[in-house]
Amino acid sequence: MRMTTITEAIISAALAQHGSSGAGEAVAAHAAGVAEHAGAALTSVDGPMWLGLIPLLPLLGVVIIAILACFNDKSKLPAWISVGLIGVSFILTLVTYLGWDGHSVIHTRLWEWIGLSWGDHPGQTLSSGFAFYFDGLSLLWMLFVTGLAALIGLYASEYMEHDLGLGYCRFFAAFCLFVFSMSCLVMGDNLLMLFLGWEGVGLCSYLLIGYFYKKKTAVDAGMKAFIVNRVGDLGLLMGMLLTFTTFGTVEYDALFTQIHAGTTASGVPLADTWQVWAIPLLLMGGAFGKSAQMFFYVWLPDAMEGPTPVSALIHAATMVTAGVYLVARMMPLYTADPNHVALTAVTWGGTITAFWAATIAMAQYDIKRIMGYSTISQLGYMFAGLGVLATTGGVFHVFTHAFFKATLFLACGAVMHGFAGQLDMRKLSGLWKIPGFQITVIAMLIGCLNLSGFPFTGGYFSKDMIIAEAFVTPDSVIWGSSWAGWLLLLTAGLTAYYTFRVFFRVFVGPVVYEPGEDLHGDAEHFHPHGPKWAINLVLTLLAVGCIASAGLYFVGGEHGWTGGMVHASSAVVETGHGKHGLLFGKNPHEIMFYISAVFGFGGILLAAWFHGPVGLAGLLIGNRTKADVVRMDPIARAIRPISTWAEHKWYVDEFYHLVLVTPLKVFAYLFSWFDKLVVDGLVNLFGGMPKVGSDVIGETTQTGVLHDYAQRMIAGVAVVLVVVVLVVF
Amino acid sequence: MTEKLALVWPEVWLFITTCVVMVVGLSPDLRVRRLCGWIAGIGILVAIGAAVPVEHAGGLFPAITPYAKGMIGVVGLLLLPLLAGTVDRDLDAAIAAGKARFDALRANRAEFYAFFLFSLTGLMLTASADDLIWLFLALELTSLPTYIMVTISTRGTRSQEAGVKYFFLGALGAAIFLYGFALMYGATGTTNLAEIAAAFKAQAAAGGINPIGIAGVAVALVGFCFKIAAVPMHMYAADVYQGAASGVSAMLAFVPKAAGFLAIIFICGTVGWDHGPTYDALPAPIYILLWVIAVATMFTGNVLAVRQTSVKRMLAYSSVAHSGYMLVGVIVGPGPGGSFWNNGIAAVLFYLLSYGITNVGTFAVLASIQTDSGDEADEIADIRGLHATRPWLAGAMLLCVLSLLGLPPLVGFFAKVGLFTSAIAAGEIPLVIILGVNSAIAAFYYLRIARSAYLEPADESVSTGPTPVPQRAIAAVLSASLVVLLLVVAQPIVERSVTASGYSPPEVGLAQDGPAQTLTVADE
Repeated sequence: MRMTTITEAIISAALAQHGSSGAGEAVAAHAAGVAEHAGAALTSVDGPMWLGLIPLLPLLGVVIIAILACFNDKSKLPAWISVGLIGVSFILTLVTYLGWDGHSVIHTRLWEWIGLSWGDHPGQTLSSGFAFYFDGLSLLWMLFVTGLAALIGLYASEYMEHDLGLGYCRFFAAFCLFVFSMSCLVMGDNLLMLFLGWEGVGLCSYLLIGYFYKKKTAVDAGMKAFIVNRVGDLGLLMGMLLTFTTFGTVEYDALFTQIHAGTTASGVPLADTWQVWAIPLLLMGGAFGKSAQMFFYVWLPDAMEGPTPVSALIHAATMVTAGVYLVARMMPLYTADPNHVALTAVTWGGTITAFWAATIAMAQYDIKRIMGYSTISQLGYMFAGLGVLATTGGVFHVFTHAFFKATLFLACGAVMHGFAGQLDMRKLSGLWKIPGFQITVIAMLIGCLNLSGFPFTGGYFSKDMIIAEAFVTPDSVIWGSSWAGWLLLLTAGLTAYYTFRVFFRVFVGPVVYEPGEDLHGDAEHFHPHGPKWAINLVLTLLAVGCIASAGLYFVGGEHGWTGGMVHASSAVVETGHGKHGLLFGKNPHEIMFYISAVFGFGGILLAAWFHGPVGLAGLLIGNRTKADVVRMDPIARAIRPISTWAEHKWYVDEFYHLVLVTPLKVFAYLFSWFDKLVVDGLVNLFGGMPKVGSDVIGETTQTGVLHDYAQRMIAGVAVVLVVVVLVVF
Repeated sequence: MTEKLALVWPEVWLFITTCVVMVVGLSPDLRVRRLCGWIAGIGILVAIGAAVPVEHAGGLFPAITPYAKGMIGVVGLLLLPLLAGTVDRDLDAAIAAGKARFDALRANRAEFYAFFLFSLTGLMLTASADDLIWLFLALELTSLPTYIMVTISTRGTRSQEAGVKYFFLGALGAAIFLYGFALMYGATGTTNLAEIAAAFKAQAAAGGINPIGIAGVAVALVGFCFKIAAVPMHMYAADVYQGAASGVSAMLAFVPKAAGFLAIIFICGTVGWDHGPTYDALPAPIYILLWVIAVATMFTGNVLAVRQTSVKRMLAYSSVAHSGYMLVGVIVGPGPGGSFWNNGIAAVLFYLLSYGITNVGTFAVLASIQTDSGDEADEIADIRGLHATRPWLAGAMLLCVLSLLGLPPLVGFFAKVGLFTSAIAAGEIPLVIILGVNSAIAAFYYLRIARSAYLEPADESVSTGPTPVPQRAIAAVLSASLVVLLLVVAQPIVERSVTASGYSPPEVGLAQDGPAQTLTVADE
């Protein structure tokens, strides 16, 4: 590229000398433009080998814990090993981040993983190293993945203590395996590494959702998660294969260079190909599957059957953001399409999911499920952010969401732990007044404020960046982008409502509780037990993390710390700054702070009015005095069809069952008959032939008599000689 | 002479070890006698160490020795614990009980290990062979000890019967290939393989290889079919494998087979894979011969294995079938070289290693189980429900049969893939299809073993227990773990097999001058 630049500069200088200044200026401007772009590209540095320890230490943990399981260990050792090794991984990530110059890609190649070649043409060599790619995006992801995993591992050491022994080992082995897979997914320097991690996290998710494998709902939920993800993975896989056939490589560096050059491996201009919109759409399918968007969302609420630390880490903070990571990582591919087909799909997929899931969350009673739907909804925000080219906003929201959603889940988990599995908001109230739960309540409050976008919390800033950018991005670039903005804004209000619905009903108000189904012993003498030091410590740290994440908006440049990180990665998008659309005659970035604050307050006030308890805790407008009687009830009865439908998740599961599962079952039944009659019949027929042949030959040849054998050997030689003579002469 | 000596250092080491073992095994002290196995192991290790550094040996396959001898050593090491406790157990028990006194004439331990080492020595010498006489002597040194080992391996009459059959038929086989050697000598006037190759080349350039020479090669190849248990020389396999102790059967399935394949590769090398209309195949008679033998061997082995109720006979016929698979690689030949995927010889060499290791595992499992009558397990009924009683052995059996079947991702799969891809690259599509069909037939009986061990309950009428020789179970588990572990290091091994398969055919015109000779007794 540099050669071209210099050549063009020389040509332009020559043209200028010859007096044809107009053409010369044009070429010179072009040359300058190219130079600028080349300067903006990320430089590459070789990283040290010890970066490999970041994923491999958790993998070591898996091995050690498996060995402990063989010795039937009954201590908390697996937890300490996990927390220790993942903690070291976090520290190594932190060291890498601190040593990073802020604008390069760190490459570390451990070994050649796959190297296949069947020709010399482009696209006939598939090579993929077990190698890592550290730019701002992967560093940011790794920081919260390892950091949160260490903290949540510590939380789980106490949370899972009822299951010491093999179950405990199983949990932490899968936990460590998850961290390994997630690290491969994020740190990998090619799509194959990403795929390895992608499938690995899927497996761990399955293992951990089905952790209580004696409970049918948990087993079913695990299978559902796995199967739904398979459908999405098909898209990812096809996208990867198409990427390879189109660009001849799956390694990010080479891929981005190729996309940057604007041609396929065979030299066709990229904009003219169908792959330019097909690949991003297929990859989006994979991303939507993993991140539970659109048609794929059904698995995530059921995944709440897993232990709460799993819900917090895998199904809220990290794994489900893998889809967001994929889209962000592949941003050059998404923006290469001049019509932005895939980006529009991402925007609207995310927006509709955000709204849809929020409506369902409003009608649920299981507080952990509400958090599950809220996760789907917030993931929708992230995708919408990426779709409207607000990569920084989307990624920032991933980061803040990781903290506040982990906090919320872990607080719910502390409730579940203390009340023998009780999660129904109609049976719990006034936790604030029950001894031992104060830290939980405070952490919950901080998490709720973040989730509902209360001014000056991390969630407030990150969500605003997305919504504002939706208004900024012209509708001509992303179809209906401002309408998406309005829908997202409305959803922000709904989010505040359902979030504080939980808070006002469960955490404040009159003290009411009933133990859940995990109760061992007498319900009459049940006493809730507050969390101990590990859970309290983790909740405190996470709550502090939530507050601190807001500060990231203010440090490090125009778009905060995240902006800097995204800018030093493949996810950077050059948006048309200075060409802002106007909203109510103002700059959307500024006015959005006020508008979304209004929506947030509105949602909280509505929640207080409908669900808040009497007194200050209900913001003086609530009137609830019992756990299960609220002002909302008559309204819910009045709009019964709608509220029932929302409570039953708009019957999407039932719909899928009718249009997908039932026909498949009928087909399976038919095919099984075909299989039994035709396929098995053929197989048995062919299988019987060797057996018959065997009997015939065997009877005649297996005599065991020495001279028979010798005769046949000689006969064989005779036949050979005859054949040779016949062939030669 | 000294150059040749440098090449046979591993054999020299093995021979010295053999002598030591023979003497040590005569000690009246049981503890000293027990050292035999350990000394043999150390000797093999030293031999491997001496074999690996050799780089270029000259001849038609200049680089084959390090790989071949390394492979022989590794499988030999695996066989060693499996052969432990085959002889002298009754005698030792009687001495321990005070019922008998040590009698050097009645004790067989020293001979047994010594013969094993002799056989390995012969096998390694086969790998170093560059001359027909040398090749014949090496092959006989490989085989002669095995006749005795078969005979003394159990105290029953069945092994004596097996030994006699094996000896007579073996002698017949040796006579046949020696006759072939004689014809080859008659057609070329030399016994040196490289010179024979050069002479054949010159004849081919001058209008056609001497028919006597072709007949010699063909007869020699048929004679080698005895070593590798291929049609029409396969009949003995089932009877002999069943009659011998499992450890010895395992050895018979690898040692003579490896010797036979090395010899076949060498002899095929003399006529070369550059004949035929497109100059990429063996001469037509040899090609047709090997093609027919390969196909007949595959079908015979697999089809007959299906009806067996004795696991050992089943494994014997499966060993026949595996020879058929490997012959496909020989037919394909070294190909254009450079890659494992189009090189039939490299595929055969890798297959031999994979088969040797896996095969030790299956026989070791059988050897580790003892029926009530004191015999080793043999019938399918003996391993029913093995999963419940001895899970480690059942696991080892499962891994080994799946690898023999060629199920990914075990090492047997990669070995078979090499055969498939090289045959496809050479355009031998009918052979590939036949290979595929036979792999499918093989699934029937291999999976039956797996099913018996895992899914069926133990027969109540059959009661089995562990053999009082724990080393055998260790050999089983070790082989099974290698079946998995070899995948991790498959790349360097595959690369070595590619190097080893390097074929350097003589240039036309050399026949008159003759290449420099180091050790030849060809005298006209």
